[in-house]
Amino acid sequence: MSEIEPNVIFSIENLNRDYICALDKLDMNKWLACFNKQEGTYKLISNENESNGFPIAFMLDDKYERLQDRVTQVTVIQEDSTEHYQTRHMTQLTSIVDLGNNRYQANYNFSVFYTQNLIEQTAILCVGRYEDIVLIENTASFIQRKAVIDTNVLPRYMAYPV
Amino acid sequence: MSKTPDNSAILEWPAKYNEIPKEVFERVDLWPIELEKIFYGDEWHPIVHQSEIPNIGDYKASELGEMPLFAVRGEDNQIRIFQNTCTHRGTTLVTESLGNKTEFECPYHRWLFSPQGELVGCPNSREFTPGFDKKDFSLPTFRTEEFCGLYFITMSETVAPLKEYLGEDFYEPLSRILGGDGRLKFAGYQKVHYDCNWKAYCDNDGYHAPLLHLAFKMLNWQGGQGVQNVSENGHLSFESELKIPDDITALKDASILDFKGTETSTGSIVQMQFPLTVYSKHMDMLNIRYAFPKGPKGIEVHYAYFTHEDDDDEMIEHRIRQASNLLGPCGLISMEDASIFSRIDKGNKTPGMAIFQKGVKDEYKLELKVGQNDESGNLPRWEHYRKLMGFKRAES
Ligand code: FES
Ligand SMILES: [Fe+2]
Repeated sequence: MSEIEPNVIFSIENLNRDYICALDKLDMNKWLACFNKQEGTYKLISNENESNGFPIAFMLDDKYERLQDRVTQVTVIQEDSTEHYQTRHMTQLTSIVDLGNNRYQANYNFSVFYTQNLIEQTAILCVGRYEDIVLIENTASFIQRKAVIDTNVLPRYMAYPV
Repeated sequence: MSKTPDNSAILEWPAKYNEIPKEVFERVDLWPIELEKIFYGDEWHPIVHQSEIPNIGDYKASELGEMPLFAVRGEDNQIRIFQNTCTHRGTTLVTESLGNKTEFECPYHRWLFSPQGELVGCPNSREFTPGFDKKDFSLPTFRTEEFCGLYFITMSETVAPLKEYLGEDFYEPLSRILGGDGRLKFAGYQKVHYDCNWKAYCDNDGYHAPLLHLAFKMLNWQGGQGVQNVSENGHLSFESELKIPDDITALKDASILDFKGTETSTGSIVQMQFPLTVYSKHMDMLNIRYAFPKGPKGIEVHYAYFTHEDDDDEMIEHRIRQASNLLGPCGLISMEDASIFSRIDKGNKTPGMAIFQKGVKDEYKLELKVGQNDESGNLPRWEHYRKLMGFKRAES
């Protein structure tokens, strides 16, 4: 395993920061901008399914058009029926592996807190790990962001990606 | 068991069939009665599909009311459902939601059970009571029946056999949700907790679909011809043609809505089995929603999804990406239902009645014939509930 250059770590951390700030501000277009336009994918899956080899996910955006449709779903289709909530994403980089061709596998631990309007108490939405594949060209973008959550039973329905 | 208890002092039911007292969602003193009269009473409850535990020794933990249990595939390939309790002093035997074991050992005093439920070992048994016989200490089981690979249990000795209990209008569409022949492959769960009483969770109706779910409108999705079948013991079954328009402009990737279909899969089917299990087949998604009340407040729902053994790779992938995006607690065509469960629960902390309108022709009469988009289909279920609970209906 080769030593990871500081500028690579910097790029990956920047991308992750853009991602979690976009979600905490509920700016779905900025969220979308974190993904690679040709190959970007997003998946939210329970650890129970992941570790048993069950493919069903909570969210499965397996191509860029699906990511675009997720933005429409959150901002247009379900905007008015959702009980909205504020999230706070806390992340911790745990590893980076160089895959060659400017691609890196990066893993993060994360926890997401939520504060729901009307209730106004804060609770844990989910805890888990990101398994990312990041492409670093001029800027960094996600080829894959996979969120695997230890929280096998969600505490409420989830309106936004994490 | 079928004798109506006199609980009329606890809650008086209104004379009108289309009015439901809102307090029924909120009163914690109803829960012990519901456990006794409904969950441990004359009803069947689905626990596991054979495809969830496909290999010998595979087990799945579950619950009935507040009782822990588990289903296991024995060495003889038979599926059995046991109370999750050691026959010695009661320690639970399995602690994980899913797993595989060749034997079930209680850690406390090392009593050992086979996957068939027999007690096969217990240390120092020479010092036990004089009449002790291992045969008397098998794991307690339930009255169990299977339908298309789905295993149901009941605590009742007297409830009708499963098919009679469900009725043909219910079990025939259910067989199609279960792939026609039950030869399914399990694809995974989505599990979620909803912040509502269990009765608010299962009170979803035929009226709301085109109104609540904006996706249907945006996608120019017309509800096809259909029927709603209702039974006196509270089961509901919706079936409708599926018309998905060719030109969906609201989505960039409309393939998510493709309906490929199979021989036994024509329209949309949604079924609600009393007291609280939903089965559905929307497009190519085969779905069982096991539901577990967490006392009087809160319900955990385990959406289980399946593919069919005859599916090719393309169909498997399609079913998985459809189920992972359209249904469940984040789904494009279902998340709104989840938002209603908690909102209706919150709103029902107010006094008075929840009032059903659509399809009600006479408030003082219970009607079993209902139209596809009527909400009155829920009323036979409420009447079944009222009778089981022993609440007296006020004079009109
Ligand atoms: S409680 Fe299980 S062996 Fe004693
Ligand atoms: Fe709905």
